[in-house]
Amino acid sequence: MQQETSSIIQTVLDYVASPIRALQEWLSEYLPGDEWAAYLAFAFYVILILSGGLGAILSRNLIRAMLGLVLTFLGVAGMYLLLASPFLAFMQLLIYVGAICVLIFFAVMLTRNTDGGEESRLPSLGSLFYGLLAFLAPLAVAGPLIVMYAGKVQVETPQTVPSGKLGAGLLSSYVLPFELISIILLVAMAGAVYLAFRGYSPKRSGDDQ
Amino acid sequence: MTTLTFFLLAALLLLALGLAGLITRRTLVGMLISVELMLNGAGLSIVAACQSVPAADSALGQLAALFVMGLAAAEATLILAMILVAHRRFGKVTVRDVSILR
Repeated sequence: MQQETSSIIQTVLDYVASPIRALQEWLSEYLPGDEWAAYLAFAFYVILILSGGLGAILSRNLIRAMLGLVLTFLGVAGMYLLLASPFLAFMQLLIYVGAICVLIFFAVMLTRNTDGGEESRLPSLGSLFYGLLAFLAPLAVAGPLIVMYAGKVQVETPQTVPSGKLGAGLLSSYVLPFELISIILLVAMAGAVYLAFRGYSPKRSGDDQ
Repeated sequence: MTTLTFFLLAALLLLALGLAGLITRRTLVGMLISVELMLNGAGLSIVAACQSVPAADSALGQLAALFVMGLAAAEATLILAMILVAHRRFGKVTVRDVSILR
């Protein structure tokens, strides 16, 4: 009885996994060595980026657009993992998904710009045309350049940089940009607080002028 | 076609998507979302180039992408405050309504 059950489970698992095996065999014919998994992961992340980005720029609801943006951030974090920089992938999730998306959510909610807002109508035909032009122009200008020149560069497999080396770089060679980015963040946040509270002072009631 | 080509093409795709969104979006919040897309593409291209090319310092590339992320955070903070001010003053955040230079 026990034997039969396990063999049935094995058969079901084989059946479920058979498309993946077939895909693996098909890919291993065309791709050198055992790199097919990396290419598969890359294709998956590209699909994440493309679908999320299209949702972010085309959705008529800004909350849905923000969720598309989250999908794109996840795809880019996966690409950082493929490039053997797990620290950056972690930072991508922490800063973009954790902080910037919350800021965008606040911006949407504080301006009451959700469903039925200004973005709910389709853009005019002229702006759609210019948008398509703006989508195609970078691809047409920089795409051939990338294919021509990046293909000729001698490429090595990315190696993981230990995060201790990154920290040492932050405090030795690149200490000036590090301090500058701290000052920029401080100034930006002080400016944001000043701008947001300017109209609320009791002496200056009403308009911020 | 090397792996560097694929990564750079993905970054270019992010740039193109962000630019198209910047043109077609009508409100400031939608434009902020598009700018974040483009900044992501910038970071991805920097890391891809510095991790793949042997002559490049890969620690420098990762730190540069980290600085891009910090700049994106500062920019998002400031734009949130600007959107709040525009909303308080004009009642709307569409680009057409806040185009008064005064």
